[in-house]
Amino acid sequence: MLAVGLAAGWSLGAWALWQTEVPDGLEPPAVADSEILSPALLDEVRSYETFLRALFLVSLVVVLVALALYARFGGRFVRESAAGRIGTGMLLGMLGLAFLWLVEIPSGLAALWWERRHEVSGLDYGTWLAENWLALGGEFLFVCLALLVVMGLAGPLGDWWWIPGGAVFVALALLFTFVSPYLLPAQVDAPPDVVAETRSLAEEQDVGEIDVRVADVDSYESPNAAAAGLGPTRRIVVWDTLLESFGEDEVRVVLAHEVGHHSREHLWKSVAWYALFAFPGAFLIAWTTRRRGGMREPTAVPLALLVLVVLQTVALPAQNAITRNLEAEADWVALETTEDPDAARELFAGFSEQGLIDPSPPTWAYALMETHPTIAERIGMAEAWELRASP
Amino acid sequence: MEPHPIRLVVEDDLRRSRLTVFLRIILAIPHLIWIGLWSIAMVVVAVVNWFAVVFTGRLPAGLHRFAAAYVRYTTHLNAYLYLAANPYPGFLGAAGSYPIDAVIEEPGRQSRWKAGFRIFLALPALLLMSTLVGFGAGGGGGGGGGGGRTADTDVGSEAAWTAGGTLSAVVVAAILGWFVCVARGSMPLGFRDLAAYGLRYAAQTFGYLLLLTDRYPNADPGEPPATQPTPAKPVRIRVEDDLRRSRLTVFFRLLLAIPHVVWLILWGILVVLALIVGWFATLATGRLPDAFHRFFSAYLRYETHVFAFLLLVANPFPGFVGAAGSYPVDVEIAPPEAQNRWKTLFRIFLAIPAALLNSALGGALYVAAFLGWFVSLALGRMPEGLRNLGAYVLRYSAQLYAYLYLLTDSYPYSGPVAYVEREVELEPVPTWPDAPPEPSF
Repeated sequence: MLAVGLAAGWSLGAWALWQTEVPDGLEPPAVADSEILSPALLDEVRSYETFLRALFLVSLVVVLVALALYARFGGRFVRESAAGRIGTGMLLGMLGLAFLWLVEIPSGLAALWWERRHEVSGLDYGTWLAENWLALGGEFLFVCLALLVVMGLAGPLGDWWWIPGGAVFVALALLFTFVSPYLLPAQVDAPPDVVAETRSLAEEQDVGEIDVRVADVDSYESPNAAAAGLGPTRRIVVWDTLLESFGEDEVRVVLAHEVGHHSREHLWKSVAWYALFAFPGAFLIAWTTRRRGGMREPTAVPLALLVLVVLQTVALPAQNAITRNLEAEADWVALETTEDPDAARELFAGFSEQGLIDPSPPTWAYALMETHPTIAERIGMAEAWELRASP
Repeated sequence: MEPHPIRLVVEDDLRRSRLTVFLRIILAIPHLIWIGLWSIAMVVVAVVNWFAVVFTGRLPAGLHRFAAAYVRYTTHLNAYLYLAANPYPGFLGAAGSYPIDAVIEEPGRQSRWKAGFRIFLALPALLLMSTLVGFGAGGGGGGGGGGGRTADTDVGSEAAWTAGGTLSAVVVAAILGWFVCVARGSMPLGFRDLAAYGLRYAAQTFGYLLLLTDRYPNADPGEPPATQPTPAKPVRIRVEDDLRRSRLTVFFRLLLAIPHVVWLILWGILVVLALIVGWFATLATGRLPDAFHRFFSAYLRYETHVFAFLLLVANPFPGFVGAAGSYPVDVEIAPPEAQNRWKTLFRIFLAIPAALLNSALGGALYVAAFLGWFVSLALGRMPEGLRNLGAYVLRYSAQLYAYLYLLTDSYPYSGPVAYVEREVELEPVPTWPDAPPEPSF
């Protein structure tokens, strides 16, 4: 009965979060790929994306196999620790991530080679390795914090750690979202016209003042922008490559899209979605690790890592669908605010051309890899808006 | 294990002439000119040596004598410059002519392969030598003798700056020792033995480079076992490490230490705040309160565990609370005792010389860890010499921080020792008969 009640509550929460301002029954016209990219470019894009998709699948299999092996044998590393149970758990968690890092290097290097070959990236291999190495350090800190919470709670609470644990993780997600504007790449003041435009769009969307900054990134990074922060830390960060690559109208669409994330509370919604997944996920980890003594025991950590990654993989299509839903709403809000579908079309076609993005990826790739609507869908939405707006 | 074919004999009584100490560098000028000329000749001879050993597998006796005299001479000169010995050295590097002397065995058969690649093989040793004694002219000696007693150790080299551009440990000890010698007329035992250790390592390195032997230099500060008793100290290091290293944790060692570094910083903030209170309490009562003693002791142990892990002095991942006896490289700290209020009042200033030396020794520790990382990754085992060098520096560092954390008013002892076996006893050990006390600064 309790399970049914929880499932119903979960479904109700998910339904409420799924609702957006994109009109029901909106049927965007199908946009042919040939309308977006030239045939030659389309061939290149498909060839480029096919390789990366294959690499993604190979990498996924390698990761799962590696974690399965680590779950089986990782407990042996207990002997490399002189720490207590939590410290030893941290060591096993970090070694698991280190193991993953090692097995993912070949596919990462292959992807970089491919991107360099297609001039999508100018990053050199040494820098890539160094950056990955440093990122691994950040992951180590994160996994240690997570294990401190989980194993600290599992000590007194046993297998019930997942209830307060889920709450702590949601609180941490909130904290992370709150401070995320300060974790984005090096930022400088935005040009006055960008600041003025953002202020105007924020007023139109009735969202109050939002800070806007420019991320000073390397020239090879694809054009991008992000909405980050909550409440007083709300911020929009625009990559300088975007300002350099697109005209004023296209940049205005991007700004409206990012302001839309804030005005429609997408960051709060993302945390809420995270909460919906965090509790069942924590429960499943607690349940599957019981045979190894539960998360109180450091030897359960390798198995917990495997379960976590399997759950993430299984939930990937759903998570991607959720982010696509939010992105689609931000696109719609941007169209409503700017009333400039031509600029939106130019922007999305430009993304496809510069980043070699397939306008219509295969369904499986769409489900597993795409966090945004496809380029064809986004252009289709712009055309649908235009049709609805025309008398 | 067979003794190293290049060893050091120390027959120094620690007494120093204030006048010659005061003028030491100026007095050494003729030697510096002479060593420069001799070094030029030595470079030529080294090339000849190389061909001789590569083709015959043995260094001819004449060439061996020439190179051995050069290494001995540089040992004498450096011992003089670094205040490791008192008398003015001769110019010929004659065997047995100086209180700190290099003993170099007769030429034996050598591996031609090792000789062929000698200059490359010597690079790690040269790097480590640079942190201990700096780069410069020649050989110099080291190791253990106590005042007036002879200790058979190995030999080494010289001059001033490390590869990283900082002052080497022996040079810092010499600079500090200069002030003590001018004031007291005697060299502190710890400084002398540190210099002797560095000179021994340098002599072995130059002996290896000049093809006097194909035996690699030994970085172990406790080799061969020193004969003098170690001064009793309330802070000691205990090493129960078996030298085995996990390759995976070695490869990721730097990153694995990140959580510890974060925790060390957070805990350190509390320590600094507590130190302010503890300082006033010690000043008022002449003794650090027990609760503070426990708190600072745990932090000191934790610091030592973390750095032992990070710098490959030990293998296992340490705990986060600095529990006594929980780690293979551990610090033993005597219970609280009465402290001199004057030393407490000026503690931070008094610690400056030791902090300078600690900083210089830190260079050697980092180089040892850097070299040990490659070896551990390849062999799954840390070389004992590098591990012991690390333990020696950690011991000095622990004694320095114990002094700063008001855990003791006993000044850090800088001399290298065969740390484990001879430091575990808590009972006071009598001071070496003729040795002046360690300076209290």
